[in-house]
Amino acid sequence: MSVNNTVDFQKTTVPFSSNCIRLSIGQWIIVTVICLAASYLIPVLWGRIEKYSPGPDYRIPYEMSNDYWLYERGCRLACSRNETLVIGDSVIWGHYVSSDNTLSHYLNEIADDKQFANLGLDGIHPAAMEGLLRYYGKDISNKNVILHFNPLWMSTPKLDLQTEKEYRFNHPKLVAQFTPKIPCYKASFSARLSAVTRRFFTLPNWVSHINITYYNSSDMPAWTIANPYKNPFKTVTFLIPDTDEYEKPGNSAVRRPRAENQLNDTPIGVPLTDGYQWVTTETSLQWDTFGRSIQLLKERGNRVFVLVGPFNEHVLEGTSLDAYKELKSQIEQWLLQNNIAYYAPGALPAEFYIDVSHPTSEGYALLAQQLCVNESFKTCILNFSWD
Amino acid sequence: MLFHTWPFVIFFLIVYPVYLILKRTRFGPAWLLIASYFFYGWINPLYVFLILYPTLVDYAVAARMEKSKRPRMWLAVSIFNNLLLLGFFKYADFITDNINILLSSLKIPYEIAAPGILLPVGLSFYLFQSMSYIIDFYRGDIEREKSFIRYATFVSLFPRLLAGPIERAGNLLPQLDKKAGPTIEDFTDGLSLFVVGLFKKVALADYLAIYVDKVYSTPEQFQSPALILATFLFAWQIYFDFSGYTDMARGVARMMGFRLMLNFNNPYLATSLGDFWSRWHISLSSWFKDYVYIPLGGNRKGRFNTYRNMFLTMVISGLWHGAAWTFVIWGVVHALGRFLTREVEQTEFYKEKVPKIARQLFVFGFVCFAWIFFRAESINDAWIIITRIFTSGIADPYCPVFALALIMIVWLYQFLYESRLKYILELKLVRIACAVLMILYLAVLAPSSEQAFIYLQF
Repeated sequence: MSVNNTVDFQKTTVPFSSNCIRLSIGQWIIVTVICLAASYLIPVLWGRIEKYSPGPDYRIPYEMSNDYWLYERGCRLACSRNETLVIGDSVIWGHYVSSDNTLSHYLNEIADDKQFANLGLDGIHPAAMEGLLRYYGKDISNKNVILHFNPLWMSTPKLDLQTEKEYRFNHPKLVAQFTPKIPCYKASFSARLSAVTRRFFTLPNWVSHINITYYNSSDMPAWTIANPYKNPFKTVTFLIPDTDEYEKPGNSAVRRPRAENQLNDTPIGVPLTDGYQWVTTETSLQWDTFGRSIQLLKERGNRVFVLVGPFNEHVLEGTSLDAYKELKSQIEQWLLQNNIAYYAPGALPAEFYIDVSHPTSEGYALLAQQLCVNESFKTCILNFSWD
Repeated sequence: MLFHTWPFVIFFLIVYPVYLILKRTRFGPAWLLIASYFFYGWINPLYVFLILYPTLVDYAVAARMEKSKRPRMWLAVSIFNNLLLLGFFKYADFITDNINILLSSLKIPYEIAAPGILLPVGLSFYLFQSMSYIIDFYRGDIEREKSFIRYATFVSLFPRLLAGPIERAGNLLPQLDKKAGPTIEDFTDGLSLFVVGLFKKVALADYLAIYVDKVYSTPEQFQSPALILATFLFAWQIYFDFSGYTDMARGVARMMGFRLMLNFNNPYLATSLGDFWSRWHISLSSWFKDYVYIPLGGNRKGRFNTYRNMFLTMVISGLWHGAAWTFVIWGVVHALGRFLTREVEQTEFYKEKVPKIARQLFVFGFVCFAWIFFRAESINDAWIIITRIFTSGIADPYCPVFALALIMIVWLYQFLYESRLKYILELKLVRIACAVLMILYLAVLAPSSEQAFIYLQF
């Protein structure tokens, strides 16, 4: 067999290339079929081969907060075993506490027959959560869902993503890329398109999973530069350590959640120097997307219960406190009007907070107790069974 | 808009079907021109005016030249205009910097303000293409293109606009005139070229760049083995980067039915420096040969003049690559290399007794050495690298074995391609396997960053 490697054009002969990779239409069809089959089958088979035991709480390891393929997998697993899913940001995930001190853990302790799964994601905010639920939480249907709303995201126009100046927030791939417009999101057209396409194809998310799990969140080529003499294929162990494994003392390769005694005075992501400039539910971008998340979950047949806060009101004073209370009242009104079951507790005792929104272990325990005696919670979650 | 980015994919998905419909009508070239100007204007809308200006001037000059009794004058007008543009945008900062250094060394208390002009991407490429048209027309090698639309499309055709190949009017203009649309074979051939180019750029060049950039950004911190390795890797990085770009450009053009010239022909298998330049950036090398070296007299006027012409051509070629002394020295090094090896290469002993592999390794080693000047940020850096290569101690270079393995696979492929075993690479199964492996590698293992092409800066 011989490949014609020159092309006659008029009187000149233009060499086709300096290699033999020249395929006919039939051969390209074969290549396309093989590649499509591989891109579909590899992630599916990988999910079966790779061991993943998320533990009773289902908390995704901190290092894998950007691994949406794993989140989807964990979601699927949790949905197949648990009736109630607790979804939210780092408050639900438990940024400052170990996995046996989170809200879902204490809820499991109190109501052990309900099996609450922690599907919180560190660093997520309502605008990104909508994308997370829409594209990677498709398995969440016909479930009880406790959806947490952290008022922190409405404490300043910046955190509400309203400023025109670029603000680099967490999980940018999950937010709306084109419409509705997020003023502070300045990603290139190419990056936005790339983010959109990832939502519809499994392979890129699976590749991210491989990179995050086995290549220290870089990609394989960059990893081989950092580890020049290691075999890049040997590091793939087909084993995802569960959260507890990650958080074991002495495991220096990964970053554990910050211990309570390692705190400094600056709460996560809060520009204290700017002070609090609460936005309203009418103008808030984060609240708007939170509303859409509720709508989406309900459309999928879920029973949605919203937990608002509890925000650390002890750090507020004067007009700021009044503005917060006004906002909380607006939120409650909106939830009532839309017939959404909710619980918006007052502030926990000051010593039960680590920062403006994250409770301590004791705070989570107290919150779980408060929830379990709340009538609305009992009706919507505790006393309801899908059986 | 780079070939390996999403905006280009969308752009092409819109442009291509419309082109297929319009190709057979008189609107075909107009559509291509609109698409090409949009492609260029995407980077900066003002660039459209920049490319329009020399296009209008050269189109008008050709028309004047046809009727004029003094065509040489019009040729000079065109060349002067193009070189002025090139000089202003590419060399203004370089010239003022050097004048300021001169004034300072003469202790003259005066400093010219730096113009701070950014070089518009692709300028060097399309100006050279436009100049070649005027020169070819002046020489009577081609006929004047009557249609302004077709001529403007020839200058701006988007697949080759940013970094070549620098096409000749004799090859491209007749293709623009052709009414027949691209065939299925054109499409599959274009796809083959594009995938190979994409693999070279994304999987190989961008990968090697990680190591090279690290070492070359702070050469004083690295020892001899790391500097040698980085230089070796850069030689492959620039090859994969530029030939990858060219493959993609030729692939896109081919899908539209245009055959652009081959720009790289496995240059690291060259057995002499002359051979290297007939395999590396062929469209530019042949441009300099046809429009600089031969008009200077070529090799017709004795040994001294031959070497002088060769030297001038190489230095101008170096300067074309960038307005910096490092590029000039790169050209000088190549010129000196040609002087020293040309006579030896013509001896029977060299041709018959020195094994081919030894000749190839020698040429590759020399080219790698010259790349130091090309890649270094400054002459000082280049000097640091060369002195440290010979004087610094031995330390672990943290050699990325996987990258080396990939290079070896490519090298082996190229050796096979130019050997009697080429038939193995031509087997259907091997070709399909190569395509599948490249696509899967791109999808799964390729670096995630989007790096620009090196040659876009020239």
